[in-house]
Amino acid sequence: METIMEVEEIGTKIDELRETARRIRVSIVKMLTNAGSGHTGGSLSAADILTALYFAKMRHDPKNPKWPERDRFILSKGHAAPLLYAVLAECGYFEKSELMTLRKLGSRLQGHPDSKALPCIEISTGSLGQGLSIANGIAIAGRLDSASFRVNVHLGDGEVQEGQVWEAAMSAAHYKLDNLCAILDRNRLQIDGKVEDVMSIEPIADKWRAFGWNVIETDGHDITKLLSAMNEAEKVKGRPTMIIAHTIKGKGVSIFEGKVEYHGIAPTKDELEIALKELEGQRNG
Amino acid sequence: MTALKIAKDRTLDIKNMEILSKVHAKNLVKWAKDKPEALVLSADLTSSTEIDLFRDAYPDRFISFGVAEQNMMSFAGGLAREGFIPFVHTFAVFIYRRAYDQIAMCIAYPNLPVRMFGFLPGVTTPGGATHQAIEDTSIMRSLPNMTILECGDATDVESVLDAANAINGPVYIRMLRGEIPRLFDKSEPMILGKARILSRGNDITILSSGICTEEAMRAVEALKKHGVSITHLHISTLKPFNDTAVLEALSANKYGVITMENHSIIGGLGTVAAEEMAEAGIPNKLLRIGIKDTYLHGAGREYLMREYGFDAMALIREIEKIVDTSFDITEDDLRRVRFEPINSDAKAEAL
Repeated sequence: METIMEVEEIGTKIDELRETARRIRVSIVKMLTNAGSGHTGGSLSAADILTALYFAKMRHDPKNPKWPERDRFILSKGHAAPLLYAVLAECGYFEKSELMTLRKLGSRLQGHPDSKALPCIEISTGSLGQGLSIANGIAIAGRLDSASFRVNVHLGDGEVQEGQVWEAAMSAAHYKLDNLCAILDRNRLQIDGKVEDVMSIEPIADKWRAFGWNVIETDGHDITKLLSAMNEAEKVKGRPTMIIAHTIKGKGVSIFEGKVEYHGIAPTKDELEIALKELEGQRNG
Repeated sequence: MTALKIAKDRTLDIKNMEILSKVHAKNLVKWAKDKPEALVLSADLTSSTEIDLFRDAYPDRFISFGVAEQNMMSFAGGLAREGFIPFVHTFAVFIYRRAYDQIAMCIAYPNLPVRMFGFLPGVTTPGGATHQAIEDTSIMRSLPNMTILECGDATDVESVLDAANAINGPVYIRMLRGEIPRLFDKSEPMILGKARILSRGNDITILSSGICTEEAMRAVEALKKHGVSITHLHISTLKPFNDTAVLEALSANKYGVITMENHSIIGGLGTVAAEEMAEAGIPNKLLRIGIKDTYLHGAGREYLMREYGFDAMALIREIEKIVDTSFDITEDDLRRVRFEPINSDAKAEAL
C-alpha cells in the first residue's frame, strides 16, 4: 500500500483521514473499557499523528508486514499500545474484532506492544527511553543496506526525561540519520502531573536543535499540518528531524481531555457511553 | 568415567607455556573478513577491548558510540532486527550493570543475535570495584534466551567467535585481553556446551572456569604427585549447562566437588553446579571457591586471587582439608612452576 500523499492530495482526502482518526478513537475507548485497564490519555492524544503516518505517509503493506522496503514505525511510548493496535486493525493487519482481546490471556495484543506476537510490530516497547536508540540502529542498518525505507519513531514528552533518549539524540545527529524522523507527543502530562511540575523538559525544541536535529513544531491534531511536517522532514538532508506535535492528552473525549488521572486508567462503562456519544457527534457529515 | 575423553595435549608444561598478546584483536580481523553482516560496536574503549585493528581494517563496519552504553545496546537490537550481527565490545560492568534493561528488552526478549563481549571479568583489572565484574554471570544467567560463554586461554579467545556465532540469539562472553596463555591446543577449539576434560581421577572433581582454570591446572599437577586423583573440567559454556560429561563428573568422586571461578560464588559456576547436583539428586559435598560475597580491593590479579582465596594455593589448602592430609606444597613450590603473571600492562588506559 503506497500511502505517501503530496500536499494537494491531502486536501481532498483530509475528511477521510479525520474520519479514520475518529474511528480509531472509537476503537481505543471500546478496547480499553473491555480490557478494564490501559492507557487512555496518551492513546487518544496521538491518534491523529499515527493516522497521518499509517494512512498518508508511510509505505507499508498489511498483507506483507515484513516487506523489506516498508517504512518502519516504532512506538517508543509503548503504553499507547491500544492506539497502535487500533491503527493496525484499521489498516487491515488483523481483524478489528481482535481488538477486544486486548490484555486477555493468550491474546496477541499485550498491554505493551509485543513484536513476538504480532509481526507488524517492529520491536517490543514499554520500557521508556529505548525506542529512539532502536530506531537509530534500524536507520543505520538501512543505510548499510542502501535501502530506501524511512524510520519513524514516536516518543512521549514524559519519556524524554530518560537519559538514554539524549544518548540516542546525539548518535542520530552524529551519524546524520536523515532517514530518521522522531515525533514527540507534547501533551504536557505524565503520571505524576504536569511535565512542567514533575521534571521540566523545556526548552524542548532548543534542546533538540542543540543536539543537531532539524526541529519542526506543529499542531498534533491537525493532520494536514502533521503531513506537511513529515514531508518536510523527508526533504531535510544530513540530519534527523524531530516533529514536536503539540497535543491534548485524551483528545476527542472532553471528559478525558487534559486530565492527568486518565494517563493510565481505562474508561468505565459509563464513561465509555459518554465517550462514544461524543465521538459519534464528530462524524463528518 | 571411562566415557570421558581426555583433551589432547593437556599436559601442563608450564616452562614451555606459550603467552600470546592481543589475541582477539588479530583474530577478529581474520575471522570477520568474509562476514559482511558482522558489525563491531564500541563505547570509547576501542583499543582497550582490542577492536582497534578491526576498526582500521573495516571502518564501514565499525560503529562508535562514545560513552553511552544504553544507547549502544538498544541500537544493537535495531541492527540485529534488520539482519546484522552486532559484536558489542566494552568492559563487562558497563554491559550488565549499565544497560541491563536495554539488554533485557531490546536484545534478550526478542531473542536477537547480539554478541556482547564483556572484558575485565573479576580480578583481571586493577581498576577496583567500579571495573571488576564479579556478578555478571549471575545477572546475565537469569535472562531468558541468554547464552553465556567464558574464555580461559588463547585458544578459547580465538574460537569463541565461532562458538558464539552458532547461536541464533544473544550471547554474553566473559572475555580476556592482553597477554593470554595458551593452555589448550590450538587445534582444539572451544565447543559450545562441552567442557574440556583436563584430568581424570576418582577422589575429587574440580570444575573451573576462566582464568581459574590455569590456577587449578597448576594445583592439580602438584597434587597428582602426592597421589590425589582428580577429575578436572574446564567449563566455557556457563549457560546452557547440560553437558552429560559434566553431570557424570559431578557424581563420580570420592570426596566431592570443588568449583573455582573468578566471580562471586553467588550465581556463578558454583551455583550452577549446586543446582545441577541438587536437581540430579547427586548427594556429594560441594565446595565453592571464588569471590565470597564481597567487593574487592583494586590491585593486581595475582595479589587479589591470593588475598581473596581463589588461586592455586587456595585450592590446594581446601583439598588438604578435604582429604585430611598435609602435602607440604609450599608457595615456593608453586612459584617455581609459576610463569609470569598475565597483566594488562599493554593497555593504554591501564585499567
